[in-house]
Amino acid sequence: MNPNDNIYRQELMDIYKNPVHKGALSDPSAISHKKNPMCGDEMDLYLKIEDGVIKDASYTESACVVSVIASEILLEKVIGKKVEAINKMTKDEFLTDLGLNLSTSRVKCAMLVFEAVKEALEKYAGK
Amino acid sequence: MKLNAEELKKDFPILKRKIYDHEIVYLDNAASSQKPQVVIDAIADYYSNHNANVHRGLHTLSEEATELYENARKTVADFIGAVPQEVIFTKGATESLNRVAINWALHNLGKDDIILTTDFEHHSNLIPWQEKARIVGAKLEFVEADEKGEVSAKQFKDKFEEFGTRIKLAAVTHASNVLGTILPVKEICKIAKEYGAKVSVDGAQAIPHLNVNVQSLGCDFYSFSGHKMLGPMGIGVLWIKRDLLEGLEPYEFGGGMIDEVSFDAATWAAAPEKFEAGTPNVEGALGLATAIEYLEKIGMDNIREHEIELNMVLLNELQKIKEVRILGPLDPTKRTGLVSFALDGLHAHDIAAVLSGLGIAVRSGHHCAMPYHVKKGFSATTRASYYLYNTQEDIEALIAGIKEAIKTFS
Repeated sequence: MNPNDNIYRQELMDIYKNPVHKGALSDPSAISHKKNPMCGDEMDLYLKIEDGVIKDASYTESACVVSVIASEILLEKVIGKKVEAINKMTKDEFLTDLGLNLSTSRVKCAMLVFEAVKEALEKYAGK
Repeated sequence: MKLNAEELKKDFPILKRKIYDHEIVYLDNAASSQKPQVVIDAIADYYSNHNANVHRGLHTLSEEATELYENARKTVADFIGAVPQEVIFTKGATESLNRVAINWALHNLGKDDIILTTDFEHHSNLIPWQEKARIVGAKLEFVEADEKGEVSAKQFKDKFEEFGTRIKLAAVTHASNVLGTILPVKEICKIAKEYGAKVSVDGAQAIPHLNVNVQSLGCDFYSFSGHKMLGPMGIGVLWIKRDLLEGLEPYEFGGGMIDEVSFDAATWAAAPEKFEAGTPNVEGALGLATAIEYLEKIGMDNIREHEIELNMVLLNELQKIKEVRILGPLDPTKRTGLVSFALDGLHAHDIAAVLSGLGIAVRSGHHCAMPYHVKKGFSATTRASYYLYNTQEDIEALIAGIKEAIKTFS
């Protein structure tokens, strides 16, 4: 199957064109910055954490459709969750959840936000 | 004679492949070219009929393999206007450039000496110099591309006037892999000579497309890869000017590169063996020589003319799309067969993915020229690069694909 039929299908394009988690948080508990040196994707990730719960999350990016869609889906999932639950989330769980059937080179695009969330949580834990 | 790209396409078995039911449109030649049947056959023939280690045995196969390998060296030498002794086989342009850095730069540069280069070099013609400069305390100085993506000999002259004989080496690309720009290498060499500086040229993007004669260029080192010029992967060339061969130390030590060995020390064979320790890539050298013969049959001037025509069509069509920003010169004669561009509001990855879905292969990213992309504010660009088998229809398919990508994402 042509992978584009999956990635660029209408419901995902709607997410891409109407992102709800894009933008910086004014008073974040943790920020991370991630880059994909192979393709030039970049992202800043913001988390607001209270009482061990992720209250809010957002991102700013210069990135591709896959990266944006993955960010929207992941952040939708992490908001309201306990930090420890997200700490436990594995790469494979995240990719299965995403359900995008990505080619090897595009997995890296989707992983950018996952790694950004993990890094922000590590920074928060180290505070 | 005008070349017939449609006919030439038939020589390349991979171009018969379908990608998601689409005819393949291969426009990623600056990354690696496809191989004609004759090259594939030459490699198969070598292993089917002649394979043995070279320079080692007196038996028939070894002698045949040696002869084929040395004939390949001669073919390469003739192609670039050199003598065989000056042609050293490497695994590619990256290794060739690193060899210049290790074998020459490390021994000939000192504190505060300068390596002059440009701000749009491929990482393989930047990082080797950075690393060696760091070790010996030398510095890098950059000639910057102007707003058209071009550099002039005058800019190099200005640098030499400013820094004088502190510049010991000019390390420049012959043609940019990002901008497509062809550099005035001959003039640069002339200026460098006046100051006693050496010139190392990265020819990876030039030699597949242009007539290259190292003597008339006047450089000291010329590096290129086989796989971008219809040859196999894993073979490349470092051409070193004859005067420098003697004074250069070997790069690796081992079999095939010695004159005499005792338990305490060794002396070296003459070039090129001195620089080729170990069993060489005979199939690669043969494949490259066969590719060169194929290119010569078509004629480098005809290839150049064909690519200028494709440049004209692509540059013209791209300029009609308002979202497109083109990198490098708009004059089709000032570039090799490639055009990099950015689309406002669209990431290069997505353009490449949409195109891939249509069977069109392009490159997206920073094309191993990250500092230039960062400086110009591009996170990534899309690059279409063609060769002798690409037709005007391929360019039309690309333009249609770009328009479809814009429609998908807006």
